[in-house]
Amino acid sequence: MDLGEQIRNKAKELIERETVDCVIGYERATDGVGARPLFAYKPEEVDRLIFDQTCTHNLAKYLLNSKDKATAIVVKPCDSRAINLLLNESQIQRDKLFIIGVACPGITKTGLNNTHEELQAACQICQQHTPVIYDFLVGEPPASEPDIAEAYADVAAMEGQSAEERRAFWEEQFSRCIRCYACRQVCPGCYCTECFVERLDPLWVGIRIAPEENEVWNTIRAFHLAGRCIACNECERVCPVNIPLSLLNRKLEKEVRQLFNFQAGIDAETPAPFATYKKEEVFPELG
Amino acid sequence: MAIEYQPKIVGFLCNWCSYAGADVAGTSRICYPPNIRIIRVPCSGRIDPLLVVKSFQQGADGVLIAGCHPGDCHYTEGNYYARRRLALLRPFLEYIGIEKERFRVEWVSASEGKKWAQVVSSFTDELYKLGPREMTLAKGTG
Repeated sequence: MDLGEQIRNKAKELIERETVDCVIGYERATDGVGARPLFAYKPEEVDRLIFDQTCTHNLAKYLLNSKDKATAIVVKPCDSRAINLLLNESQIQRDKLFIIGVACPGITKTGLNNTHEELQAACQICQQHTPVIYDFLVGEPPASEPDIAEAYADVAAMEGQSAEERRAFWEEQFSRCIRCYACRQVCPGCYCTECFVERLDPLWVGIRIAPEENEVWNTIRAFHLAGRCIACNECERVCPVNIPLSLLNRKLEKEVRQLFNFQAGIDAETPAPFATYKKEEVFPELG
Repeated sequence: MAIEYQPKIVGFLCNWCSYAGADVAGTSRICYPPNIRIIRVPCSGRIDPLLVVKSFQQGADGVLIAGCHPGDCHYTEGNYYARRRLALLRPFLEYIGIEKERFRVEWVSASEGKKWAQVVSSFTDELYKLGPREMTLAKGTG
C-alpha cells in the first residue's frame, strides 16, 4: 500500500467519524506533476490526497488558521518539528490536532511542469527521517538516521571568508530582495499579527527601494527565527530571487546548538533558548 | 581637505547601572572620547537586535551595549536574557560582514565611572584602528 493510500484511508476514517473537521494534506497540482495543499472537508475530497516526493509544502503553517476546530494534518519530519514549535509557543492545541506523520524519503527539487530526481538541499543533509510527533505513522521509518558529518559545510565555508568578502556577498544577495515577504508568509514560525516590518511608527524598515533596508529585513527575519527555525527550508524555496536564506538560518541554528545545546521543535516542552537562562553560564562570544 | 575620521558609536545604556556609571564619570570629571552617542534604555534586556542592526544600517561604526553586571539587574533577570541574545547576535553580525570588534557588550555598574571611561576609550581606539565601516551598499533612491 503506497503512502498516499494509507493517508487516504486514515483521512476518510477521520472525516467520516467526524473526529476532525478538516484534513490538511497534499493533492496533485494543476501542472500534473507537482503537489499543492489540499483541505479536505468531505469524504469525497479525501480521495484527492496524495503523498510523494513532490510534496514540499510545510502545511503546519495552515494550523494557525484553524485553531478552533479539530484538524488532521499530514506532516513530514521537518513539518512535525514545526508543530512542536507551535505547541511550545502555545499557538495551537494538541487535543485539537490529529497528526498523520510520514516517514519521509526526502523531497525532490521542484519546478513548474517538470520533475527532478535530485533531492532538495535541505533534504540532502536531513538527519530526521521520522516525524518527531505523530498520532498515526505512514511509511517505514529508517532503522537509523544517516550520519552526516558536514551538515554545515557551506556555513563553515562562509565563516572562513574575510569580513569584507562576507559583506560583499550579503550586500549582493540582499540587494536583489524585492521584499515580497514570501519567506515570511510561508514560515510556520512567522505568525506575528503585526510584523516589525509593517510597523509605521517607528518605521524600522523604510518603504523606499534600498538595499540597506533589505538588509535590515533579512537579518532580523533570520534572527527572529534563531532557535526557532525548524529547517524545512521553505523560505529559500519560495524566494523569487533565490537569496540563500538557509545560509543565514543554519548559521543561527549552528550557533544555537553550540551555545545552548538546543534544536528547535525536537520536543514541545524544552523552553526555547531565549525564553530561559542560567545564572552560571558564561559566553566567551561576548568578550 | 579631507575630514579626519571620527568613529561614531551608538551606546545603549541601562538606566540603572551603566547610565548612572556614565553619570559618575561625568560628575567625577573623567575625560573620555566624545564619539559615543548615548541612548538610555530601561534595561539591557530591552535591547532588541533590531536596534543594533538599525544602528549599523544608519551609519554607526560601532555599537556598545552596557548593562548591570549579571546578578545585579534592577529587574532581577533582564541582563541574563540580554546576555543570551547578544551572545548569539555577535557571531551573527560577524557572519553578515560586520566585524565583531564593532559590537561590544560591557557590564558597568553605577559606581564604575572609571571603568565606563576606559570602556569608551578602548572601544574608540579600536574603531580608529578598524577605520570607517565600508558602506559599499548602493544608496537607495528616495
